[in-house]
Amino acid sequence: MSDNKILKSVDRKIFKTYFEDGLIDMFLAAFVLMFALGPFLSRPLGDFWASMIFLPFWGVVYLLLWVIRRRVVAPRIGSVKWGEMRKKKLRTGTIILFVINVIFLILGLVSFFAPIASGYAMSIRFSVMMLILFTAAGYMLDFNFLYVYGILAALAMPVGEWLYQTVGFSHHGFPVVFGTLSAIMFARGLYKFITFVKETPLQLEEPPIQGLNHD
Amino acid sequence: MTKDLAGQRELEKLEEIDPVIHSPTRLKVMTYLYLVENIDFVYLKRVTDLSWGNLSKHLTKLEEAGYVVMEKTFENKKPKTLIWLSDQGRQAFQQYKDNLQQIFEGLPD
Repeated sequence: MSDNKILKSVDRKIFKTYFEDGLIDMFLAAFVLMFALGPFLSRPLGDFWASMIFLPFWGVVYLLLWVIRRRVVAPRIGSVKWGEMRKKKLRTGTIILFVINVIFLILGLVSFFAPIASGYAMSIRFSVMMLILFTAAGYMLDFNFLYVYGILAALAMPVGEWLYQTVGFSHHGFPVVFGTLSAIMFARGLYKFITFVKETPLQLEEPPIQGLNHD
Repeated sequence: MTKDLAGQRELEKLEEIDPVIHSPTRLKVMTYLYLVENIDFVYLKRVTDLSWGNLSKHLTKLEEAGYVVMEKTFENKKPKTLIWLSDQGRQAFQQYKDNLQQIFEGLPD
């Protein structure tokens, strides 16, 4: 139905406008950084703690971005409370992404305790998981850039494995490929943030609206 | 005779189109408001790409018609205008959509 398409486009615009600041990219960069730095921590801390140590790191990054959002972005962009259509989509998306994450966590634990594959086989399994996760998130959240990140994340591990086997890069090439991916995400986020701040001057005060009491 | 009366009623649909909503700019504003619980003036201006003056003018008309509620609040000591569709506004928007659908339903290409 054509009017339905228009409503969907309007809803998408309202939602996407909220995230024009590039902060999501920066948070994803922090997430991917775990795969780049984790291998260096595996030896002293063990695989489990080398991953767990990133939880407080993500917490700090999240808090920092939240403060930026509140202090810099919100006064420029204003505020909105989603309508029922978007809330429903977000609820469905959250459930689907949660289920995908639980499945991946189980698969991860199975691989951790009973490794059956190594090298390229492991890389491809990880690639498929990354592709599914990013594609589902991109579809649910209407963010096209997540598809591109999904492809890059899916390519990262096989490329890293190739670099490890042919060039001799350390740690299966993880620090190089995921470090690069994290840098790409961060650079895009920073570019978007700077552009957003430049193009959206701070509105010191709303102009009076005719008929509305602004005393 | 019955057919004439029915036809007359159908023709009246054309005149039932709400002129307050029918303006392109107000239709745009109403569509955005229809899809949110509430929105502040700054965000609405950004998504509709309207100027302060233009948006303010059309919101005032919608408020006068009872379709929109505007409430001035304060956030960090700064004034902020929250806007949302009233129940009357939601009904009027639905009615507007139904009327247009009836008019254009089955229109030959």
